[in-house]
Amino acid sequence: MNLNFSDEQNLLREQIQKFCNSDYDFYDRENFINTESGFDPEKWKLFAEQGWLAMPFSSESGGFDFGPIELSILFEEFGKFLVLEPYLSNVVLSGYILDNSSFDKKNDFIAKLISGEEQISLAYMEQNRNYEFKDITCLLEGTDSLTLNGTKNLVLNGSNADHYLVTVNHNDVTTIVLVSKDTDGLSINNFKTVDDRRISQLNFENVGINADQIVATGDEAEQLIKDAINYGTLCVSAEAVGCMESCYLKTVEYTKSREQFGQPISNFQVLQHKMVDMFIEAELCKSLLYKSMIDMHENNDSKYRSVSALKSQVGLSGKKVGEDAVQLHGGMGVSEEMSIGHYLKRFIAIDSQFGNSHFHLKKFNNS
Amino acid sequence: MELSFSSKDLEFRDEVRDFLANEYPKHVKEKIENGEPLTREDIVDWHKSLSAKGWMGFNWPVEYGGTGWSPAQIYIFQNELGLAGCPPLIPFGVSMVGPVIYTFGNQEQKDRFLPDILNFDTWWCQGYSEPGSGSDLASLKTKAELINEDGKDYYIINGSKTWTTLAQNADWIFCLVRTDSSGKKQEGISFLLIDMKSPGIEVKPIITIDGDHEVNSVFFTDVKVPAENLIGEEGKGWTYAKFLLAHERFGIAGVGASKRQLERLKEISKDLGDDDLIAKVSQLEIDIMALEFTELRLLSALEGGGNPGAESSILKIKGTEIQQRLTELYVEAAGEFAIPYGGPDGYGSNVKPNGPEYTNDALSKYLNMRKVTIYGGSNEIQKNIISKFVLGV
Repeated sequence: MNLNFSDEQNLLREQIQKFCNSDYDFYDRENFINTESGFDPEKWKLFAEQGWLAMPFSSESGGFDFGPIELSILFEEFGKFLVLEPYLSNVVLSGYILDNSSFDKKNDFIAKLISGEEQISLAYMEQNRNYEFKDITCLLEGTDSLTLNGTKNLVLNGSNADHYLVTVNHNDVTTIVLVSKDTDGLSINNFKTVDDRRISQLNFENVGINADQIVATGDEAEQLIKDAINYGTLCVSAEAVGCMESCYLKTVEYTKSREQFGQPISNFQVLQHKMVDMFIEAELCKSLLYKSMIDMHENNDSKYRSVSALKSQVGLSGKKVGEDAVQLHGGMGVSEEMSIGHYLKRFIAIDSQFGNSHFHLKKFNNS
Repeated sequence: MELSFSSKDLEFRDEVRDFLANEYPKHVKEKIENGEPLTREDIVDWHKSLSAKGWMGFNWPVEYGGTGWSPAQIYIFQNELGLAGCPPLIPFGVSMVGPVIYTFGNQEQKDRFLPDILNFDTWWCQGYSEPGSGSDLASLKTKAELINEDGKDYYIINGSKTWTTLAQNADWIFCLVRTDSSGKKQEGISFLLIDMKSPGIEVKPIITIDGDHEVNSVFFTDVKVPAENLIGEEGKGWTYAKFLLAHERFGIAGVGASKRQLERLKEISKDLGDDDLIAKVSQLEIDIMALEFTELRLLSALEGGGNPGAESSILKIKGTEIQQRLTELYVEAAGEFAIPYGGPDGYGSNVKPNGPEYTNDALSKYLNMRKVTIYGGSNEIQKNIISKFVLGV
């Protein structure tokens, strides 16, 4: 039993912290929110140069063999600064599926993900599917020449992707196909999310698919999707933990500097106890994070259940901490120019992603 | 990072489980399982079984007759006791005054008091709170005046202590008393050991809302205490009291016991088929998991040579909230069967078979457990501690 990070893991955290502290100014970040891509391509290049985009890939694929613990560290630190760059969609979701698949062309795609040259998004959500990823309505039909028809929604970072990993139904067998953005018959609608990310809707109309575009089928495909989503769920939860830590620290700092009634408002016990509650929520979520990431690292059977406990809790705690942070910042808390309201928006987005608190509580109970 | 305990620790866990299966007194076990109250003898028998095994000093160093266990072993021991549903260990001797005596007492005091604590031949109680001094403990007024009689020094004690848990069973009391009221209030406090048989001590029961006699008022009228019963230096009592509180905090989360209660509650809520209750129990299970891993994080820090500090106040706050929440949900599960009260087994036991067996002590436990967020430094005080020492406000 050991819940202490290794020296190497602590160094990794320091490296990420150093980058965020010096290069991730909130007002600078604001400039990229309204660009077409919604993030800073220079930072993405830097991520590649630092080797961060290679972190979780296996050494055979040119990666560092890092796992859930290191990714949790990365996302926790990213959460503190509301990092926008599309690490989750590219490296975690698409990266996991490609790296663990038996797809014979995977190395070419992984190499381009690691170098930052190309981006790949996972398209698995459909309308009215409510976090369940079964009964896929996107149909892949035919035997020799294959045709894809249907719609995918809420494709993370869809507007920046060069390719999509699309979950489809092929004769009632779950199948993952790789489709390029400029394929004939694919039309893409792009949207912004409440937390300034990019998502897309993909419409496939008689899109021709070749057999060499099939990444995985059947049990393999289902397992890959399940595990990629579990991984993604862990990562956004770690991000939420980082967001919570920033929220209580920023709130403490603010209440110490804000004076009313002739004194810093941090002198008032009612505010102190609220900030302590925020701190406790963050710490308890962190404990669930540790349990989940080590369960995943050790590949224990309990890993899905642990992640559901974690996701359910960060959904509740994140919103509570975010709302209290806004409340304690007073009018400043609801100003778009302050970072604090952006944390609240991120908490809401994270709760709704990969199954909200209620969904995961039920999943936890039924497993 | 690693979730499982080492094979050495797991062997140790099995040894604890063996002990609990074979040497935990059967009559105590039966009463606990039936939700019946324990007598003084039951509690003594339970502690003596640990003494016989050499485990009473589970958190003491070897040189004072303790086990010398690692933090992980102490954790496993406490956790297994909780999981097995054992009565809580009476902390006043082994976890409170014992460590104060072996840390700050003189050789004579160590020789005199420590063996009886380890054998559970002395039942200790704690004289801290006073009618006017609860959260503001340092304002305490019980006065100790030094006199000399026939060439011997004595303290004459006048005042009163309150909320004294199981004082009716106790042989000795350790007290914070005021030896000086001239300076800062923390600086005039001394730590004194007092024989409960001393003339001038009167114990009066306080009946709590569950109907039980667990706590007392203790009155001191010109009680004569040999000065050799002073621990350490006069006026340093506050330092020793703070040391004691830090010693007490580890294991306070009560995760093992809560997990046992939860498992039963999960079965009950599923049998009832009440989806609303099931969802509440699931949320509580997540809360317990979060608490468990918070304690394990602190344990890892300890094992790695770190010092957990004020963060451990989280364990008190969440541990007690969870203990209360469990009793709330048991009452909810019991429905109307929660309200029959005052059965043949005494306080709070239901009249059997008035309802399902889990309803027997649902409400008495609920009422009794209101204390946990109040004692040991109320949860509000714990939040003040975190605010000051962790958040720096």
